Amino acid sequence: MGLARYTLRRILQAIPVLLGIATITFFLTNAIPGDPIKIMLGPSPSAQQIATIRAQYGLDQPVYIRYLKYLWAVVHGDLGTSIHFTGTPVLTKILQRLPVTLLLLVSSFTFALVTAIPMGVVSAKRRNKPVDHVSRLVALIGVSTPDFWIGLMLIILFGYYLGWLPPTDLVMPWADPATLEHATTRLDVIVTSIQHLILPTITLGTLQMAAVTRIERSSMLEVLSEEYVKLARAYGVKETTILRKHAFRNAQLPVITIVGLQLTAALGGAVLTETVFSISGMGRLIITAINSQDYPLVMGTTLFFGLTFVVGVILTDLSYAYIDPRVSYGEEEP
Amino acid sequence: MSEPLLTVRDLQTHFFTEEGVVRAVDGISFDVREGEIVGLVGESGAGKSVAVQSIMRLVEEPGEIVGGEVTFRGETIFGVEEGPDGELREQESMLSNAEMREHIRGREIAIIFQDPMESLNPVFTVGGQLREFIEINRDMDAESAKAEAIQMLREVGIPEAEKRYDDYPHQFSGGMRQRVLIAMALACEPSLIIADEPTTALDVTVEGQILEMVADLQEKYGTSFIWVTHDMGVVAEICDRVNVMYLGEIIEQAEIDDLFYDTQHPYTEALLDSIPRPDQTVEELDPIKGVMPEAINPPSGCRFHPRCPDAREVCTRVHPGAREVTDAAEPHTAACLKHESVFGAGYTESQPIESHAGANFGSGLAARGGEVDE
Amino acid sequence: MAHSDASVDDGTTPESRSTTGGVNERVEARVGLSYTLSQLRRDPTAMAGLVVIVVMTVVAILTFVDAKLLHYYFATHYWVNPENDPSTVKTLMPPVGLTNIFGEGSWAHPLGTDYRGRDILVRLVYGTRIAIQVGFISTAIGLVGGTTVGSVAGYYGGWVDDALMRAVETLYAIPFLVLVIAFMAAFGRDLTYAMVGVGITTIPSFARLIRSRVVSVREEDYIEAARAAGVRDRNIILRHVIPNSFAPVLVQATLQIGVAILVVAGLSFLGFGVQPPTPSWGQMLASARGYLLPDAWYSVWPGLAILLTVVGFNLLGDGLRDALDPRINN
Repeated sequence: MGLARYTLRRILQAIPVLLGIATITFFLTNAIPGDPIKIMLGPSPSAQQIATIRAQYGLDQPVYIRYLKYLWAVVHGDLGTSIHFTGTPVLTKILQRLPVTLLLLVSSFTFALVTAIPMGVVSAKRRNKPVDHVSRLVALIGVSTPDFWIGLMLIILFGYYLGWLPPTDLVMPWADPATLEHATTRLDVIVTSIQHLILPTITLGTLQMAAVTRIERSSMLEVLSEEYVKLARAYGVKETTILRKHAFRNAQLPVITIVGLQLTAALGGAVLTETVFSISGMGRLIITAINSQDYPLVMGTTLFFGLTFVVGVILTDLSYAYIDPRVSYGEEEP
Repeated sequence: MSEPLLTVRDLQTHFFTEEGVVRAVDGISFDVREGEIVGLVGESGAGKSVAVQSIMRLVEEPGEIVGGEVTFRGETIFGVEEGPDGELREQESMLSNAEMREHIRGREIAIIFQDPMESLNPVFTVGGQLREFIEINRDMDAESAKAEAIQMLREVGIPEAEKRYDDYPHQFSGGMRQRVLIAMALACEPSLIIADEPTTALDVTVEGQILEMVADLQEKYGTSFIWVTHDMGVVAEICDRVNVMYLGEIIEQAEIDDLFYDTQHPYTEALLDSIPRPDQTVEELDPIKGVMPEAINPPSGCRFHPRCPDAREVCTRVHPGAREVTDAAEPHTAACLKHESVFGAGYTESQPIESHAGANFGSGLAARGGEVDE
Repeated sequence: MAHSDASVDDGTTPESRSTTGGVNERVEARVGLSYTLSQLRRDPTAMAGLVVIVVMTVVAILTFVDAKLLHYYFATHYWVNPENDPSTVKTLMPPVGLTNIFGEGSWAHPLGTDYRGRDILVRLVYGTRIAIQVGFISTAIGLVGGTTVGSVAGYYGGWVDDALMRAVETLYAIPFLVLVIAFMAAFGRDLTYAMVGVGITTIPSFARLIRSRVVSVREEDYIEAARAAGVRDRNIILRHVIPNSFAPVLVQATLQIGVAILVVAGLSFLGFGVQPPTPSWGQMLASARGYLLPDAWYSVWPGLAILLTVVGFNLLGDGLRDALDPRINN
């Protein structure tokens, strides 16, 4: 079977899911009450104006026709035009904001994994010792704390009282230095970028970190009591090798599963984090879109959220298959 | 007679749990000589697996080896002595953990676990795992170890060994996996292989093939074996000498023919009686009454007395150690007060008691009754 | 081999696929309720969690009674005296013992006041009602919905299973928060829609869990026996399949309540939940956002309240999980 075929299979499987997402978003957003037209045109619009705008946005046709036209358009990469950001194509708006959100997501996941995996492993190895208790406490608090509140606290402490880090916005590492004050070289931009990134990363990443720590610990504990680990010990394999090689790989399987499940929470968390830090990413975009009843924008952003999620799931499934040969090689008996 | 390869004296391994102390192995003694296959027989829970794990010093929390002595080729794997404060402590001469790992485990003593499904790491190739163990225990480099591994797979009868080297455990059947485990043990060229119920999880036909193969290999390489099982049929087929365990103790020890034809302990007799024999037709099978009690609260006196058809009143009070009870060439010991001449506990005068099916009936306190020793 | 354990024809027998020999006995697949409770009682953190939950629930009920029946008697007499006279209203007071630019904290308002002079402690206490309500109801919706979908899918298998699980996966594919927000934007922004929305989005995870349990339970012999005896499918599902699948679901549900509270707090923070002036912790944090500098303490308390409550549910959930896991009990 192999990994390549498995990848292809997963991608193909994702297509009906994306279709489903498009469908749900379409029908959901079309149930939004309120007339964006009236909002755009202000009070007492003439019937003529209304009719023109309606036709322009295709709102004068029955639902199922709109649905099919919508699907057709999506497949061709046309997500419509935003009502709120008058005239701007939805896709353009999204692509403007997407990198920001992606930067935030990648950064927080990296932070989470880099801290959580070692913590979980150490916790398992030194079970019931002080290190273990501390890490378990931190993890417990991590999964129980609202992420936006962490953001607020961080802003107060580091942004205002200590003034170490900027409390708002993100700066892209590839931004033009001319657009920023205090920045002249590329290096300056990167440094500023990192400074802006720290607080939001911690805000969004804490929940992931805590969840991964917990599963890493319990998974390692379970694997360390498996028969094949005992066998390796019986054959004289060094304890460090057992931890690093024999146990670790197997233990990651449930962890990957959990990370996959965390994706959906992370995307929601991104919305909250962007709101708290006033970051111009996709999260805030969707809130704006909903608040201004901008149908096309809402549909487009939701679709992109779904797309990001599906890509994330495929990546986690691939990592799982990479580690576990049973998935891609299937069951073969001689 | 030369020095035995492995000697075990009064080995005791206890588990310190919330519910109390589980005396899983409570004073067992036996030897293994060069080139022989020694059987370790008993029902589930008798302590066989704990015993062999203790020999390898692989016992984990909450278990601990608390007493006795285990030596291998004269080196002390485990031993206790009295320290200056009167407390028991581990002997100075005992091998350290590192030494155990480097010199003994895999290299001198190898173990084959019971469950072929669980004993192989699912995310690594079978060949890779085999090769790793060979590299560690025979000081070979990766390439030579790989060649050796393939050769070993062939030896244990795995077809297309070179191709199968790169396969994963889930691509093998149960019987094949067990052969791989055997290959692992043999490939490391140890002096002693401990096989912990390796055929229990397999179909009878597959079991037969494995036993035949083991017998062949043993002849070829001259390895000693400790064969742990609960199946008397398997014992009859390959063992040279046998130890019968019950509730943490060895209650009979004999050369194979002596055990079957000159059984000296009621438990062994009952075991033999309870299995169907192809040369006899019986009305109904004769199982041993009751179940083996838990090792946390063993019966007083002789631990088998609640289920023993020959139990007498004295058996509830006096705990028999294992002693030679026949004058066979090969020492034949049994831990049973029936052998009045050897134990002198007053068995013949004592009243018979009814053996009860319930576990622990008449067990009373966990403390042993007085030993009938000088 | 028509045995209940999946018949794997590889030369092994079902009875033999147990854990290692030695002291440990065969692992029991299912653990009884009374045993679970006794195990739970021995776990101090789980008990602590339970205490927190019970306290919160009691407070929630009390506030309900106080609001509806006693017309805020408790609020005015026992918890704190709220300022009613506009001329004496003190806004943005710090907690007792601290001072900020607006004045000095006092015991009249132990946790301080908000930007409209309302006592924070009182609002926190009333926020408990929303939190508990939301947590339980939305989880209940998810649980019932998920159980129905999952047990039907798992029991019947085939195309029913495929169709249902596809639908569930698609629902699952849209990020939680986004879906709920869209849902609420479409149908309504207040608390009821928040609960229903969150409930619906939790259906997939329950459905999956139940389904996998059902799939393994349905192979058991006693199910076959019931079917052979002519018991109707629906009754089989209700009386045999569901009760035996329940243990992990209970764990999931407990943890899910904590998650629901967090989610709804987030929703309220964004403006999609409880509408002002009804106090809810998330919404308090939203308004606190505008006053981060003048009165930082305003944003501390609601967050702590959320934290404490969710910790309670997590502790209990973890404790349940440990109590129900037979392996840990060896």
